[in-house]
Amino acid sequence: MILHPLPASAPAPSLRPQQARPDSAAAYDSTWTEQSSAQSPQGLERVMLDDGKIYVVLAVVLIIWIGVVTMLFRTDRRIDTLERRLDQDIPEDPA
Amino acid sequence: MASSLGNTTVYRTVRALVVALLSGVIVAGFLGQIPQLDILEQSARNLYFHVPMWFALMMGTVISAYHSFRYLQSGDRLRDVRAREAAWLALLFGLLGIVTGMVWARFTWYVGTGKWWNFDPKQSMAAVLLLIYGGYFVLRDSMEDPDTRGRVAAVYNLFAVVTMPFLLYILPRQLPSLHPGGEGSPAFSQTDLAPAMRWVFYPSVLAFLGLFWVLYTQRVRLSWIRERLRSEPEL
Repeated sequence: MILHPLPASAPAPSLRPQQARPDSAAAYDSTWTEQSSAQSPQGLERVMLDDGKIYVVLAVVLIIWIGVVTMLFRTDRRIDTLERRLDQDIPEDPA
Repeated sequence: MASSLGNTTVYRTVRALVVALLSGVIVAGFLGQIPQLDILEQSARNLYFHVPMWFALMMGTVISAYHSFRYLQSGDRLRDVRAREAAWLALLFGLLGIVTGMVWARFTWYVGTGKWWNFDPKQSMAAVLLLIYGGYFVLRDSMEDPDTRGRVAAVYNLFAVVTMPFLLYILPRQLPSLHPGGEGSPAFSQTDLAPAMRWVFYPSVLAFLGLFWVLYTQRVRLSWIRERLRSEPEL
């Protein structure tokens, strides 16, 4: 199974070319700071990475739901505008 | 001109199908079997919800461009209304697509880094496309005369739709991206998607395209009433 979409030869996060030149000491600094990410997840990630990241799917579905609700409200507002316009026009006709 | 708003029976049938299909897709999307993959884990289920947003955007831009083209031919105000509403919904689905993509990427590609946005080519190009379609509405609002507005916006829209395949497919594939489907072959080749997921994914695409069409029809009907009220004040 393909776990990662990038082929092994692709230029990964811009650290690799610098690693090939050991004369630059600064290149190694960022390599070591990379390792700090191995610590246990904090805050939001602790929630979202739980249970096989299923909460990411929940968040995505909720976002789409909010989009549909936004549509609902905008349509409502447009109906309101039309109703107001009709209310303005109709009482004038019999008078 | 006014009576060309389509068939109510077709609309209601599609609406019922969309509601049924979408309900099924949500249930099957959460409960169905998916392959166990590292990094993605259960978030692979987002395929059913994130990807159809972009199909809906593509359908919207093409519908919008078609009606813009017909507007330039005929000058029929209803064509302009259809082009505007299709573009508006395309923008909505595009925004949903980019935000759902951001959330998905945050907890897969960028996990541990705390990044929500790292200018991945696929994301950046999609954002550019949304800006182009945002420009369509800015352009529309900048003009008062309906005929001038319709014509100028239609021409802009025809240019905008040409950028869509480039920004969504061609350019991101030329650049190193974390987004799947960029390895030279089409995104959904025979080997890319597990057969069990196809049974949810394809209905999901259909359902969201249907949802787009239902929302689009609703908004066109409403906008058209407004246009008629404006041009026939005695109504």
